[in-house]
Amino acid sequence: MNAAKQVTLHLVPPDEEDSATHRIHRLMLQRETLRPLFRAAWDDLSHHFDESELEAWAGAVLTLAHVNAGPACLIAYWEASKNDAADRQEIAPLLVAGQMAANICRNAGAQAATAALQALPVATRVFGSGPALARWWRVVDLLARQAPESVAPAADNIAQILAPGTIDAFEDFVAAGLKFASGNKARRQAFFRLEEEFARHMIARDLGSVTFLETEIELKAFVTALWGKPPLLRSFAADNSQTPQRRTSIAGPLIRLPETFRGVQGDAARALFRAAAAHAQAHLVLGNGLFPVGTLKPLQIALVNLIEDARIETLAMRQLTGLRRLWAPYHVATPSGVVAAPTLMARLARALFDPAYVDDDSFVAKGRAMFTAALPRIDDPAISREIGMLLGNDLGQMRVQFNVKTYVVEPVYRDDGLGLWDFGENAPPSGEVIELPVDAVRMERQEAPDGDSNEPDGKGEALGRGRPVAPDERGIIIAKYPEWDRAHGIERPEWTTVREVAAHAGDPRLIEAALDHADALRSRIGRLVRGVRIGRTIRLNRQHEGHDIDIDAALDAGIALRIGQEPDPRVFRSSTSVHRDLAALLLIDVSESTRDRLASGATILDVERLAVAVLAEAMGRLGDPFGLLAFASDGREDVRMTTMKSFEEPYDRRCVARLAGLRSGLSTRLGTALRHAGKVIGNTTSGRKLVIVLTDGEPSDIDVSDPLDLVEDARRAALGLKNTGVDAYGVVLGQAGGEAAWRIFGRGNTMMVHRIEDLPGRLSELYFRLARR
Amino acid sequence: MNLDAYRIADEPYYQPLGHEIETFQAAYAERLPVMLKGPTGCGKTRFVEHMAWRLGKPLITVAAHEDMTAADLAGRYLLEPQGTVWHDGPLTLAVRHGAICYLDEIVEARQDTTVVIHPLTDARRILPLEKHNEIVPAHGDFQLTISYNPGYQSAVKDLKESTKQRFVAIDFSYPPPTTEAAIIVRESGTDEDLAGILVAIAQRSRNLQGHGLDEGASTRMLIHAGRMVRAGLPLDVAVQSSIVLPITDNPDIRAALSDAIQACLP
Repeated sequence: MNAAKQVTLHLVPPDEEDSATHRIHRLMLQRETLRPLFRAAWDDLSHHFDESELEAWAGAVLTLAHVNAGPACLIAYWEASKNDAADRQEIAPLLVAGQMAANICRNAGAQAATAALQALPVATRVFGSGPALARWWRVVDLLARQAPESVAPAADNIAQILAPGTIDAFEDFVAAGLKFASGNKARRQAFFRLEEEFARHMIARDLGSVTFLETEIELKAFVTALWGKPPLLRSFAADNSQTPQRRTSIAGPLIRLPETFRGVQGDAARALFRAAAAHAQAHLVLGNGLFPVGTLKPLQIALVNLIEDARIETLAMRQLTGLRRLWAPYHVATPSGVVAAPTLMARLARALFDPAYVDDDSFVAKGRAMFTAALPRIDDPAISREIGMLLGNDLGQMRVQFNVKTYVVEPVYRDDGLGLWDFGENAPPSGEVIELPVDAVRMERQEAPDGDSNEPDGKGEALGRGRPVAPDERGIIIAKYPEWDRAHGIERPEWTTVREVAAHAGDPRLIEAALDHADALRSRIGRLVRGVRIGRTIRLNRQHEGHDIDIDAALDAGIALRIGQEPDPRVFRSSTSVHRDLAALLLIDVSESTRDRLASGATILDVERLAVAVLAEAMGRLGDPFGLLAFASDGREDVRMTTMKSFEEPYDRRCVARLAGLRSGLSTRLGTALRHAGKVIGNTTSGRKLVIVLTDGEPSDIDVSDPLDLVEDARRAALGLKNTGVDAYGVVLGQAGGEAAWRIFGRGNTMMVHRIEDLPGRLSELYFRLARR
Repeated sequence: MNLDAYRIADEPYYQPLGHEIETFQAAYAERLPVMLKGPTGCGKTRFVEHMAWRLGKPLITVAAHEDMTAADLAGRYLLEPQGTVWHDGPLTLAVRHGAICYLDEIVEARQDTTVVIHPLTDARRILPLEKHNEIVPAHGDFQLTISYNPGYQSAVKDLKESTKQRFVAIDFSYPPPTTEAAIIVRESGTDEDLAGILVAIAQRSRNLQGHGLDEGASTRMLIHAGRMVRAGLPLDVAVQSSIVLPITDNPDIRAALSDAIQACLP
């Protein structure tokens, strides 16, 4: 490594005048502000090291100064040197640090080098000063070369990133970060700033803890099974400013769970997630609305929460006895220790939960007696308030310590209780208020384009036939198509321009929640899938061989024999299954009119989205190759196509996110969209190709005055598809547009959906009808 | 011909949940065809047996399958040393000699097969046997009953509208908890506490219907679990082997269901 080589060079005793020591002291004479700090560091180091070592160190400082590292970086280096020297009496790691910081400074700038030096003490604490630390430097150096902008974010979060404690984990993490963003700087920074779920997920995985994401499906099914109501589970989108969430929180109908429960691993963590989710859902299912906060003091609120928790759990355990086993392991308070409010409350919680628990404390005993006395009214939430207020007074008068800022509810599976309160208008963080910033974050995310669809590794060359265009709002030109001129009966070549617009990633949970609502439909479609997937078996009669005798053929043969004719030897029966070889492309109209709201409050686009999600889920399970494209246009120069799912990629959560990110706008230039769809599906190798267009009216665009022109053009396009062996079907929403669609696709290939709410079911039915042909 | 082999001697246990016995009796009195709808294992077949016993009529059951042809129902010529001999199918047998013909899971059969029942299920009450060149008028005691699981079958396999509209329908579903527990006690010989737990477990699995499971645990499944316990298996093992494992192959759902079941155990 060149760092090491240069280090040895510095160790060679230099001439007095030309020595690094000399030069650095001379340099410092000119720097008023830096001098005292430098002096302090120098004096400190001179206690530990001899002259030649100091000379080498001075050389490292000079190197840093020569790469214009700036005062902040030099100070960071001196600080790091002082700390390190005191511990270890070794100069080599300091020289390496200086050299690497200089390298980083060259590649990523002074700020990054400073940040790296500031991160050094953490890395030293984790890795020591041996080879692991050298590897750490190498990885940071690599990061500086490949992702200069990410060094500072990574260094700022180094304590969290290094939490797993092994250098391998750190190397993996950085490699994953570089790969994850594939050249998109903003995404990369978000990754190293730990704003990306995936980044936190990686760290948590290396820590051995179970993340919410890993257990979400199971957790949801578990809670659904308990009370029959699918829970709305979310994890906390923790940003950096926030301390990691330690307890569950209920916000309106949402249950927010910590991303991980720290320090709990493996099956224990899964069990804790279940305990927490079951407790929170019990509040939502068995609780009765919010408590008005009124003039209650924090301590009283905490106690009302405690009693309400006990009340809800008592109710829940009456229904499902075994829940006791789920929650019991976390009640670990013992009747001893310091008498402080949190411990007393944990003891009370245990006393109310566990009848066998013995505790002589008068406060605990009183709480227990009051709760037992109220058991006949256990269904009434008012008892929580009554008992909680009284106990809160008692505890207040006992003058035990209660710090509302550091109070964390115990046991660990219980929720923070904020979701049970109505804080009125000028509210501190109640459910709704927590909700708002989360939505705001969601909106911001939607604005950021989904990085992995474009921008190939920063090199900026657009793919496809069109000339490279800066990837702006209008997207990259990918094709030009002709359009039919109805008046003159000719095709205008290269008339329309298709641009690929990067999909915006929305929140896939929005769609998942909608799918949950449509569970009846979904399971019906699921059965259709099963029916189709197995493949139809066709029975073949009168075969030369088979697994069974074709009784009718055998009879005919017998009769033929008796009347002296030659019998037909094909007297067997066999069966074969039909394989489907079908590719489908769904073309979704997202023009302005899909913004209209239906009576239910959902927009037409919402319904389209749900319909597509249901069908896509089914097609994904079937294994049929399919693609999802959305289109809108703003004049002939700007027909925008957005790929939600290409034929090559699997249908996964990212596709759902892109589907969720669809937004209404602009017009419907159907003909061009059809031509492009034909081109896209033309690349697939399936025997049968199907384009299904989802539209809410007839074609239109801002630069065409007579919509009939576009209808005629679309008809030509549909015919063109047919000639290349692609079947085009139109699914028309609402009352209007039927005439046009009949003209374009033909009556047999048009499906009218008058009640837009029916679309999800009808669309899937259409697909399965077509798929069976 | 004697249909004694098809008669049911002892009363099959059936616990009525609503007016299904009266409905069936009325339909039988008018010789109207009946359609039994409901999820699997909720007692449709048992109900038909019970009614056949109650009415004192023979019961001919045909389980429909994908390959079933009209000939399989109506009959065909067979070859014997003397020449061809016509052999009545199960449906013809019931029509000719007066039995209740029960076509189980009718939608499984091919659609062209199901149309042979059309002339039997309207005012004509006849069965034309084209190949035999015969028209069989239905015996006075003949009645047709079909069963149909709306959850299980797929829309592609749905009954034709022209078939559906010929039937009087009785809807079956899972019994209310106390009744279901009583049924389990009766059928598996377990005690009431255990039956109560099994019903609670079933409820957990039914909650997952549409959220990971296509159908929840049936009453039949619970009876099986009860019998496994009676045969000496510990409850959790019995539940695992007769409910959780058969019902799903998805590991997440399986784990969730097992945990939810744990919440029901004392």
